[in-house]
Amino acid sequence: MLSVKGLCAGYGALTILKGINLEIGRGEVVGLVGANGAGKTTLVRTLAGLLPARAGEICLGGEDITRIPPHRRSGFGLAVVLENRNLFGELTVRENLVLAERAGRGRSPVFSLDRIADLFPAVGEKLNVRCDLLSGGQQQQVAIGRALLQQPDIVVMDEPSTGLAPKVVKDILDVLGRLRADGMSIILVEQNIAIASSATSRAYVMATGSVAHEIPEGHWPCFMADEKLVSAYLGHHQGAAHQ
Amino acid sequence: MLFTQALLAGVTNGFVYALVGLGIAVIFKGSHVINAMQGELAVVGAATAVFAAAIWGLPLWLAVVAGALTGMAIAILVELGPIRALFARRAREESFLLLTVGLGFTFSAGVLYLFGREEHLLPALGDEVYEIFGAIIREHALWVIAISAVLILALRLFYRHTHLGLSMMAASIDPDGAATTGINVRAMRTATFALGGLLAALAGLLVAPLIGVGYQMGPLLTLKGFAAAILGGLSNPLGALVGGLVIGILEAMSIVFVSSGMKDAVALTLLIVIMIFVPDGILGRAGRKGG
Repeated sequence: MLSVKGLCAGYGALTILKGINLEIGRGEVVGLVGANGAGKTTLVRTLAGLLPARAGEICLGGEDITRIPPHRRSGFGLAVVLENRNLFGELTVRENLVLAERAGRGRSPVFSLDRIADLFPAVGEKLNVRCDLLSGGQQQQVAIGRALLQQPDIVVMDEPSTGLAPKVVKDILDVLGRLRADGMSIILVEQNIAIASSATSRAYVMATGSVAHEIPEGHWPCFMADEKLVSAYLGHHQGAAHQ
Repeated sequence: MLFTQALLAGVTNGFVYALVGLGIAVIFKGSHVINAMQGELAVVGAATAVFAAAIWGLPLWLAVVAGALTGMAIAILVELGPIRALFARRAREESFLLLTVGLGFTFSAGVLYLFGREEHLLPALGDEVYEIFGAIIREHALWVIAISAVLILALRLFYRHTHLGLSMMAASIDPDGAATTGINVRAMRTATFALGGLLAALAGLLVAPLIGVGYQMGPLLTLKGFAAAILGGLSNPLGALVGGLVIGILEAMSIVFVSSGMKDAVALTLLIVIMIFVPDGILGRAGRKGG
């Protein structure tokens, strides 16, 4: 499905991503975890095409999309929910979603406005409300809905739980569970290990711009016993981490 | 009667300033570029139509279309060329402003070179003169008001009800969000300039039968349009209508009740006062998207 090989990217003279390798299969929900500054958001922006790759390749469904401009990547089946949601605040929820629906034309129609309203009832009730008047949780739901209406094969979500109430996070995770059951591939970028472990089957751990470690399927439950993960998160003072 | 006469003249001019200001606001809203060559685009559009009709012998309607398309085409070329190059180099706002000021002077010089020092008039849309509450107004002035009002309404509908309009709005509100929603942000910026250029040319075409259009007219038209856009709220294109009417009426009142030599001073002093007390403009951020 999505294959990333030797991906390098950065800003100006600074190289942030230093040879990232990822493989995500069809229907997999994979975590991408790491501390602040690990390069997670830079990776998301590079996958989205907002930041050009300096080396390496991104292949989706067997097609090399490394040089494809960001607005055309949805045509290849990639949708991205950016960290700041990046909604069009002055437009209504419906207008935000209709724009995404248009981008998904030409792909197999799996999601519709009705289905988004079914997944996120709060969104369905506020279709004619300006997005900047919604709560943070509702905005996040619109952002996810906007990604789904592009009829993607894979969705990359950058920290969808940030700043949200636990109840809202639970609702979003429930939806991810339903999408997963439907065979959607998802990359969940999370700083919160508890959320990542509950929503994904396996994970990549990023540290200083590269994949420092992989958590294979079934190994989440003992993640705190994983020295590399703890090291990537809390530095090398492992003893302190266990206190 | 003098008051009514000034009011009618002010409203007519106000709609023209509103169209110029609307173009400035549309471009600013869509690209965050302050386009200081808007008045020159109006002059180029009008001058092209005058010469297409007079020199090349085109029918008036075709000459008007040629003038409108010329204004639009020049705006597109400016966006595709120097504006895009500056964006690629992450230039700051003042660089864009300086660029458009420079291009404005270049266009003025171009009009001087190609069309000479004379002022040029287009035929009016009707030669009747009407009396309203004792004041007289030319038929063409009524057309200016009506066509401008229709254009402003059409622009609002375009932004609210067409996919291209919504995409242009989306690209200006959040370029990253737009790009990840399948919207070509660069193309939308080009479309924004095209729309701004078209509005400028239409303003020039509408005013050309009322006052002679010459090479020196651009900067003052830009200034009035800019004042209209700022008065209304630069990020709120609809505000340009309110701003244009305020400037136009105040200017006309100054001519009648103060002195014709003071009209620009009075109008632009008001601009300074409003900027101090209402920096977001008369409508501020209250008005929604689009025209």
